[in-house]
Amino acid sequence: MRGVVTFLIVVGTLIAGGCDRAEVLGEKTTIRFWNGFTGPDGRTMLGLVKTFNDENPDLNVIMQRMEWGTYYNKLFVAGLGGRAPEIFVSHSYALPRFMGAGFVREVDDLLGTGPGQLDPADFDANVLANLQRHGRHWGIPLDVHPLGLFYNKKLFREAGIVDAKGEAKPPTNREEFVTALRKLTDAKKKQWGFVWTWQRTNSYTIIRQFGGELFDPQGVRPTMGAPENAEALTWCRGLIKEGLVPAPQDFNSWIGFRQGRVGMVFEGIYMLPELERQKDLDWGAAPVPVVGKQQSAWGESHSLVLRKDVKGKKLEGAKRLIKFLSDHSVEWAMGGQVPVRKSLRASEKFKSLYAQSQFAREIPYIAYYPKNPYIFEFLTEFDLAVELTLRGTLPADEALGRGQQNMERVVERYQAQGWDLGEAR
Amino acid sequence: MKEPWYSRAGIEALVVLTALLFVAPVVLIYVTSLKPEAEIVKFESVWPKDAREGIRKNYEYVLKTPEEIPIFRWLGNSILVSSSVTLLVLTVDSLAAYALARLRLPGKKYVFAMIIGTLMVPGQILLVPVYLILNKLGWIDTPWALIVPHGAGAFGVFLLHQFFKAIPKELEEAAMLDGAGKLRIWWNLMLPLSKPALATLAIFTFVGSWNDFLGPLVFLDSVEKYTLPVGVALFQSSYSSEYGLTLAASVICTTPILLIFLVFSRQIIRGMAMSGLKE
Amino acid sequence: MRRDRDWTGYGFLLPYLMLFGMFLVLPMVFGLGLSFFRYEMLSKEPAKFVGLENYREALWLPHADGTRGDAYFRQALWATVRFVVLAAPLTVTFALLLALGISMAPERRQNIYRLMVFVPTMITISVVGILWRWFFADQFGLFNIWLTRLHLREVHWLTDVNMAMKSLVLMTLWWTVGGPVVVLLAGIKQIPDAYYEAAAIDGATGWRRCWYITLPMLKPVLLFVIVLNVIGAWQVFGQPFIITSGGPERSTLVLMQYIYVTSFLNYRLGYGAAMSWLLFLLIAAFSLVQFRLMREK
Repeated sequence: MRGVVTFLIVVGTLIAGGCDRAEVLGEKTTIRFWNGFTGPDGRTMLGLVKTFNDENPDLNVIMQRMEWGTYYNKLFVAGLGGRAPEIFVSHSYALPRFMGAGFVREVDDLLGTGPGQLDPADFDANVLANLQRHGRHWGIPLDVHPLGLFYNKKLFREAGIVDAKGEAKPPTNREEFVTALRKLTDAKKKQWGFVWTWQRTNSYTIIRQFGGELFDPQGVRPTMGAPENAEALTWCRGLIKEGLVPAPQDFNSWIGFRQGRVGMVFEGIYMLPELERQKDLDWGAAPVPVVGKQQSAWGESHSLVLRKDVKGKKLEGAKRLIKFLSDHSVEWAMGGQVPVRKSLRASEKFKSLYAQSQFAREIPYIAYYPKNPYIFEFLTEFDLAVELTLRGTLPADEALGRGQQNMERVVERYQAQGWDLGEAR
Repeated sequence: MKEPWYSRAGIEALVVLTALLFVAPVVLIYVTSLKPEAEIVKFESVWPKDAREGIRKNYEYVLKTPEEIPIFRWLGNSILVSSSVTLLVLTVDSLAAYALARLRLPGKKYVFAMIIGTLMVPGQILLVPVYLILNKLGWIDTPWALIVPHGAGAFGVFLLHQFFKAIPKELEEAAMLDGAGKLRIWWNLMLPLSKPALATLAIFTFVGSWNDFLGPLVFLDSVEKYTLPVGVALFQSSYSSEYGLTLAASVICTTPILLIFLVFSRQIIRGMAMSGLKE
Repeated sequence: MRRDRDWTGYGFLLPYLMLFGMFLVLPMVFGLGLSFFRYEMLSKEPAKFVGLENYREALWLPHADGTRGDAYFRQALWATVRFVVLAAPLTVTFALLLALGISMAPERRQNIYRLMVFVPTMITISVVGILWRWFFADQFGLFNIWLTRLHLREVHWLTDVNMAMKSLVLMTLWWTVGGPVVVLLAGIKQIPDAYYEAAAIDGATGWRRCWYITLPMLKPVLLFVIVLNVIGAWQVFGQPFIITSGGPERSTLVLMQYIYVTSFLNYRLGYGAAMSWLLFLLIAAFSLVQFRLMREK
């Protein structure tokens, strides 16, 4: 038995230690770049980083990636040990927390029209403003990934929802949406017109379309109990009660769409790689229909963020990386994102990206999450209120009322501890 | 050994049925890993339409893209870490368990209670402080971070303690009368007698270490140093999973321990008939 | 002579105690200490000593609507209790029956049966999650597909508030019974044949043999299995986290997940530590009762 164990250790050491030792350090400046891009996103980003390293022989960017949930934990624990990376990616809603801890460096010196800088006018104003606070910018947006409509062209044609040319015609307003629902839903065939995927983003979009607001204009005080919010969720629940939409299931209702049994889903552009792999599905993409009274679509941005105390060659290298990645947003977009550089979206290369171009139409009315340090607690309450309403356990106003109560306590606690709640948006 | 044959056969039939039910999902994993992604999603039939296409899309991708998926590095890391942890735990715990089970130590009851007590502490409390300690030692992002802290686990001490207690005292007393010292008794008597227990502990420790996810995730920074479970998790994003690749990678992850289990378990079965005791 | 035996024994314990001290006791003391502080990471404020404030928040802090303490903490505790009460007895009983059954099979086949029962334990939780979410899915899940084929009604495995925890327990049985089976089997095999031979001479067969010899001799090992299983059940985390994320409607949100979210998502390490210690006290009390009961038997 000892022999076996020893043998295993030797083998393991050989494999682990032997092959390709990291290259000689030489004069390369090492820059650590962390993000949550796993799966196909990760592949795309790895390719970009490799190209950057090839084009910048004096720099060595090492990318570490892990799934988003654990990524933020890891970042936080690393920050404790002083091992945080020089540059990392953050969703814009998570940024206020890192900012509140003094973790983040401003990036206004990267914005401008000089060489090596990024022209702020080339960015979508609302996307860039999203990362602004106290008049300064705290990250450079790499992309926006909005919620949009994916629909099954074959089911649409079969149900007769077509335009003059006989092409499947996606709905643009409430009436068209509900009509399509009625035509597509067929209980016998186990076919549904629409299913809920991520309840959080779907509901957030619809609530905003109904004119609902979950926080006050500064993003500080919760207003979950506002009547438009309840109205929106009650309408959603109404669809379920009428049998037009199934009661929400777990996240894998997306699989139903991939299997060709669902007519429409609202999902993020980042689901694109899965659709592209589903070669037997004839799908289309379009902006989310306006089922409320105004246009709105949930969206989030990945931002490139610098650690507060990065200096010298590492700082200069990290800035170069940011510029590189931003300039290559179209390549990045191919993995299922939308670039936020107007000049790049005007390029032929981007225009040839079908789904991304469709979803890009939503940029003027992207609905971000509010910016405050208790956003995680808010999302927990929001998820619960939405779940209770859609499942019919509680009426919308009561579910939202509970969330409102809990959030007020949370805000009180943060205030008592002297957090900078600031002006958000 | 004296029951009627039909009742034994009946029991064995039940056991076989249960065992098959247990194994069926695992077989499903293996079989499904041979399907390309689009087919997996459709769940049309259990068997793959064309296994070769699945192998190409899933396994070849996982095995042949080392810049993105250094799977052999991960495999090596896992082997190294898990073997070392197992060796460490077996040694340290069997010494400690013998002392607690058989030697007359002052304050033994309190030490034992304290050790068992730590089993009840939710592990999450330890994450941040252990990280800080490892950081001070300079062990973050090295295999040491994954190996050494596991030596502190109370599970092995508890397990071996119970097994040692179950060994009849007469054997030990006989050896002591022959003049054997404590260390010799431990090495020549207790260890061989408790081979089933040791092999059991070895298997648990090895599998536990192999599948440990949170430790490598938090204590390692570099992708090349990852162990297999953390590496395999890179195929999953928060929104979706690449089922084909994940399943193929998990097959690659599970098969080695399956084989190792088979090897070790012979040690258990080579049962120790008490009468065949060698001095 | 006796003196010498007393203390040199600690030499055996030393290697373990060193590791134990550094990587268990020290962090635990740190964690306990942390529960008396308000330590919100990513805040510029340093940790502030607040005494029992965190415990108060969990247990007896009065609110405007008349309730006291943290309702989510109570809900998570209740979810955990439901899991423990369902999972622990089922797992141990099932494992014992299986181990006994396997031990009665011919020796050359025992190895295979044991391997088959243990295999699920070797699969990592993330893959287990994928697999069982598919099994349990409402519309396109494997179990419901079979149920409909047999003309039975579909079950809302994970989406019915009353069913979700039971489904998790079912999955836990599959995933974790192998461990106790291996341990119990090893314990059974360690029982010297001499005892069985003596019993056979006295005319005892089958179940009597099992009851009067196997089970009593198995007691220390069985105690080990029971205690660990119960402790493990109190600390369950992976299954609900990965498969249901605590849903539906937080019905499967166990205490470990709530602590995890509090500590690492909301970055409230002090409060998380306090809840961890409350859980520890609960487990300790429970285990103490168990030890006492098993002693009496």
